[in-house]
Amino acid sequence: MADNDIDLQQIYEARKNRFRVLVCVDGSEESYGGLEYASSVANLADSDIVLLYVRPIDQGLRSGGLQVRVARENMLSWGLELPGIKYLKKGLDQLMADETLASEWGEKISHTDIVGDPLGDNKIEYTNEDGRMIVLKLKTAPTIAAGILDQYELGPYDLIILGESGSWGGWTKSLWDPAVAEKVAMHAPCSVLVTRDLKRGNGYLLCTDGSDRALEMVKKAGLYAMRTRSKVSVMSVALDVESELEAQNNVDAAVAVLKDMGVEPMSTFTRVGNPFEEINSAGEDYAIIAVGDTGKTGLKRFFLGSVSFKVMEHAKKSVMVVR
Amino acid sequence: MNISAPKISDLQNGDGIGAKTAKLISDFSVHYMWEKKWFFIAMLIGAIMLSLPTPDGLSREAWIVLTMSLMATILFVTEPIPLPAVALLIILGQVFLLGSASSDVAKTLWNDSVLFILGSLMLAVAVVKQKLDKRIAWIIVRMTGTKTTRICFGISVVSGLLASFVGEHTVAAMMLPVGITLVTLTSDDPKKVRNLAAVLLFSIAYGCSVAGIGTPSGGARNAIMIGYWREFFYDPSNPETQRFIIDYVRWMMFAYPMFLLQLPFVTLILFITFRPEYRDLSRAVVKLRAQVEMEGPMKAADWVSIILFLLVLVGWIFVSDKVGMGTIAILGATAFLVAGLVRWEDINSGVNWGVVLLYGAAISLGIEMKDTGAAQWVAESFLDLLAPLGANEGFGLWVAVSALTTAVTNMMSNGAAVAVLGPVVLKMAVVAQESPIIIGFITAISSAFAYLTVVGTPACTIVYASGYLKTTDFLVVGWKMALTSTIIMLAAAFVYWPLLGS
Repeated sequence: MADNDIDLQQIYEARKNRFRVLVCVDGSEESYGGLEYASSVANLADSDIVLLYVRPIDQGLRSGGLQVRVARENMLSWGLELPGIKYLKKGLDQLMADETLASEWGEKISHTDIVGDPLGDNKIEYTNEDGRMIVLKLKTAPTIAAGILDQYELGPYDLIILGESGSWGGWTKSLWDPAVAEKVAMHAPCSVLVTRDLKRGNGYLLCTDGSDRALEMVKKAGLYAMRTRSKVSVMSVALDVESELEAQNNVDAAVAVLKDMGVEPMSTFTRVGNPFEEINSAGEDYAIIAVGDTGKTGLKRFFLGSVSFKVMEHAKKSVMVVR
Repeated sequence: MNISAPKISDLQNGDGIGAKTAKLISDFSVHYMWEKKWFFIAMLIGAIMLSLPTPDGLSREAWIVLTMSLMATILFVTEPIPLPAVALLIILGQVFLLGSASSDVAKTLWNDSVLFILGSLMLAVAVVKQKLDKRIAWIIVRMTGTKTTRICFGISVVSGLLASFVGEHTVAAMMLPVGITLVTLTSDDPKKVRNLAAVLLFSIAYGCSVAGIGTPSGGARNAIMIGYWREFFYDPSNPETQRFIIDYVRWMMFAYPMFLLQLPFVTLILFITFRPEYRDLSRAVVKLRAQVEMEGPMKAADWVSIILFLLVLVGWIFVSDKVGMGTIAILGATAFLVAGLVRWEDINSGVNWGVVLLYGAAISLGIEMKDTGAAQWVAESFLDLLAPLGANEGFGLWVAVSALTTAVTNMMSNGAAVAVLGPVVLKMAVVAQESPIIIGFITAISSAFAYLTVVGTPACTIVYASGYLKTTDFLVVGWKMALTSTIIMLAAAFVYWPLLGS
């Protein structure tokens, strides 16, 4: 057993040095938009892309005591594919169509049994001569959000991308049944990109409040922008007119960080007003709004609220919470 | 452009291992509390209620049972812990809070209704494993031709007729591949057949759902209601109360016409709502025929299984009032096993035994509700609430009971809804001097009106598992179905059921 542990640890350590992107595919247009972004941000030899489809675990409590697997086995015996396989294949085709990825890929298929499910967890790994990896993973979990978060535990990721699906409600709805994206964004320890209508427009809008965390975010988002060769703009919101100067200083600090990295911001500006309203209205002209994580977790975030989350909830464009 | 590749180490946090571990642990506990929040909320509500003084007109035991019911309902709806664990909590509560003897609690867990649920689930797996689905599909398309409308109507009718006897989950599991095959044979591109898939799959789901009310074997909730009638009103020393023993045929007389009436509306509503892309499915039908022909002619085993099932049906209709419906169901399952038509391993992995436990515990709690007088108290309070609306008697009460059941059943499985609501609505009928049979039927039948959500009825859950439907589809079409069904049921309660001497 000890050998096994060391093995796992080695894999884990090795993965830390790679740029790993987890793309959650659910068959929607948004999720394939996210995949396109993934292939552009993870276009170098040091990056891996993992495509994930999570199917809620089948249980018969909802189906009157007859396990859903009876129906699934019946589907399989008719030669029908279970949902998910098709979505993953389509995702793979889309990735392989990208010429930067056109090379020889070795294939390795692995399977883990899951009690009570005819399919279990299935994984296909494709590796090319540079050591790059594309993984298709069909996973079964109690809920979709839990499956995505479990997948993070299996190997650290730098970025989780998921398509906007289902509406976001106010706090009553989030207490009742938070949307998958909301849950993942809340709990994931890495950056999360929620894609909505993702097009390469005016690139990234980085929103800073001058804190160290925000500067850390600016740095990371700047790197993402470099990788995708996108333009970057910086904004900061002042709560009232008096503190506008402070906001300008925040922007300047962020610009300094970016210039250090060799990134020239396309535009910089400040706004006065309610932070998340201002960010969202300004963000409509950009492809991705990048916000920092406020550092509050779980319950605390729930009760105190946070600008990042409000931005995420109400924005019309893709939002990246950078951690 | 020549941009040097950003180094990966730049992208990662430089936190120490210690800080990370601490964060992981705190994240975990926050995550755990977050996931289980409803469990703690339910426990808190229970503790507060038990520490309050008992309301007037209630015994201490009744107050405890009421508290337990409320907590169980919260847990049924929000599911912070696995549902069978709620059943175990109910058993524990009866022993620790109520002080019942452990053996007495154990006795209330099993009765004919629970045996019936157990037996029909085993039968359900046995029936699905016979692989008669392709033949049924072929019979349908041979009768209906290749027009989409006619195929959908045919699927609803045949699914419905079968489901009314073998249970809606059974037929949904059998027919699901038929629906999907017709869709995939028409076009490989899911976008081109979105509406066609919806129409075909909903024809199966709703065909089964409306049929589930038809006979006692259509669904667990029917058996639960029959058990409650017997438990609440039947007194062996009083021949007057014999009418509260509802047997298989009597149930069918009440409910079967309702199912038949609803069938045409299923197809009508689906076609108005979704408008399929293809009006004719001849290509798919030809390919389906080729698949079926590969199966060859009916084998001896196929005939034996059909005959066995017909015998079970005959048993339910003619002798279940003497030996109990549960006995017949168990007998049928045993016969399939003895004949070697199904393996025990298949039954063992195909039945969720937790459901049997769940219904056993829910019924046990329901009977405690009656015995302690808690049901009576809730019924009276509820009627007082309804009185200003004029819904405390007659037609108004029917509508109120139906609306209440429909609301509850959309949030939890319909068997659990009937188990929880049954005692209260039956007592309401007594207090309001309405027929407990009509009120009971309204509850049992309204519990099938969970068309709005994926989790509402077993057939919907199974069909949704195919991955071809969206949850919003259920909302779009579900309310029309719920409205139609409610109107049909209230009309039956008003005009038809009194003729049967309820």
